Amino acid sequence: MSHVHEEPHASAHESSAGAANRVKSLVAALEAASVLTERQLDEAIESFLAHAQPANGARIVARAWVDPGFRERLLADGNAAAAELGIDLAHWAPVRLRVVANGPGRHNLIVCTLCSCYPLALLGPSPTWYKSEAYRSQAVRDPRGILAEFGTHVGADVEITVWDSTAEVRYLVLPERPAGTELLSEAELEALVTRNGLIGTALV
Amino acid sequence: MRTRIANPAGHTRLPRYLSGRAGRIDAVLGTLPYPDRRAAGIVSAVETAYTVRFENADVWGPDGEPGGCICADLFESYLEPRE
Amino acid sequence: MSRVHDMGGQHGFGPLAIESDEPPFHHEWEARVFALNRLLLRSGRYTLDEFRAAVEAMPPADYLAASYYERWLHAIETLVREKGVLDVRPG
Repeated sequence: MSHVHEEPHASAHESSAGAANRVKSLVAALEAASVLTERQLDEAIESFLAHAQPANGARIVARAWVDPGFRERLLADGNAAAAELGIDLAHWAPVRLRVVANGPGRHNLIVCTLCSCYPLALLGPSPTWYKSEAYRSQAVRDPRGILAEFGTHVGADVEITVWDSTAEVRYLVLPERPAGTELLSEAELEALVTRNGLIGTALV
Repeated sequence: MRTRIANPAGHTRLPRYLSGRAGRIDAVLGTLPYPDRRAAGIVSAVETAYTVRFENADVWGPDGEPGGCICADLFESYLEPRE
Repeated sequence: MSRVHDMGGQHGFGPLAIESDEPPFHHEWEARVFALNRLLLRSGRYTLDEFRAAVEAMPPADYLAASYYERWLHAIETLVREKGVLDVRPG
């Protein structure tokens, strides 16, 4: 399902090299003006990548699957529930988390049509497809078509809600616990959860 | 309620495809920074925001998926009572 | 504002390009742009809304030709210039 665009590749490569140079000059200028240091930048990147992980989202989901009380609190107040697991949603930027649950006859899909709003703290940096014109334009008008591109199919009787993140609320999908996982431990359940499942382009 | 028919020259978080559409309030988000004015340099601007639910048919007519809906987080200024 | 970034519902951009096992960033400069924006936002040099407006104000053809982080870089350069972030402040 992955599409390789051979033709624009060379020019994309050139413009990436140009961007790298522009970033270098900009950072140098900001450092010279005592606005920030290169070291601060490196530390910010390192700290972000260490804190913002899809594993955080998976932990939340696995806990909600095994603990009905946690599930209820999670759906009522995402930030407070995440804090119970020691996950700081505001580490990178202040956001409000709303978790939306899939269920029988109900599926949820997350998009940001205007830019690329995304629960970074729980999923890490967003994939390129999430930020693409193709996804942002189509998800709201043809969610089943989008799901099909991921090889994901939901029944005709399932109602899909698409959440367009237009303010500072970040959405996370709580997938249904797969059948036949009753004997799995919480850690084993965590391993089943995929990033795409938490965006809604996969079922788990 | 209904979203206002609008096409402002400045920044807004009301997507074009949701302008002038009938919807209903799904959740009250409380007071949030108001982007349209903050983008214009008024850093302290805030407004009440709501999660609004739109039926696909009310957004896309016959061209959307039957059933299903779209939710978006919209500010008070984008909304008006439905006639 | 009704500009090119306002994508919801438009036809003709598909199909999706889905990269398997995508890294968090494809180039080091992208990570730097990401962190630059965060540090400048956090220190109050501009707001997230001003940042978004600066991305959206790109001429449509440039917006569509640019990669995601190239758009960010354009917006940061614009705001750094407009806000006089590099101006030497009196001692």
